[in-house]
Amino acid sequence: MVKVYSINNCPWCDKVKKYLKSKHVEFEEHNIEENDADRDACYALTGDLVVPITTANDKDYVLSFDKAKLDALLGL
Amino acid sequence: MSIYDFEVKTSKGEPKSLADYKGKVMLIVNTASNCGFTPQFKELQDLYIKYKDQGLEILGFPCNQFAEQDPGTNSEVQEFCRLNYGVTFQIFAKGDVRGETAQPLFKYLVEQQGFQGFDESHPIAAKLIGALQEHFPEILAGDGIKWNFTKFLVDREGKVVARFEPTTSPADLAQDIEKLLG
Repeated sequence: MVKVYSINNCPWCDKVKKYLKSKHVEFEEHNIEENDADRDACYALTGDLVVPITTANDKDYVLSFDKAKLDALLGL
Repeated sequence: MSIYDFEVKTSKGEPKSLADYKGKVMLIVNTASNCGFTPQFKELQDLYIKYKDQGLEILGFPCNQFAEQDPGTNSEVQEFCRLNYGVTFQIFAKGDVRGETAQPLFKYLVEQQGFQGFDESHPIAAKLIGALQEHFPEILAGDGIKWNFTKFLVDREGKVVARFEPTTSPADLAQDIEKLLG
């Protein structure tokens, strides 16, 4: 399952989610501002606390709203 | 008057007395937006993670009085936001840090430690000074806060012992912090 790590009031997170929806990609949103376990998982994955982070395998990820990288990551 | 006499507001609007930080080493910083290219946030977070168990507290005060980002990086598109609400270091309510409308804490801090110049060898120095001369010459005069990420270091007794301009990276404060942590 594709995961998107996000926080509240994050315009770039909204863009990623909207883009994934437009491509009919199913994803789970993990808000790292509201859930400590998600925050720790995001930090473990990336070594930082910046969002949006998109990952499909909990190993490779894309930071920010970058269509080309998202397409490559998700095979779109 | 001591720094422990000041009361500030948390990002949730609740009052917080600086007396709660007695005995800690404090690093007080006026921060910028958490959505953009603000690398000092990451370095502050790293300092906090490294030294919090030894008694370091970082207090961030977001402020809109300066342009949103680092002056040299406005043109770079950084399409991400940084989580910073208390889970890394403490962020307080947004407020002014210079001029008549400055929060009393910041008036006190600049009285204790005036402006002593920028570190011109820092990568952002030339752009910052250029931008200030061109757009905000009034900011350059006097002891007031010059830009985002001005850092004040306070020892365990509450003395404001040092001021670091935006042209000093947080990572370069490690030695001074270690000295105060003892």
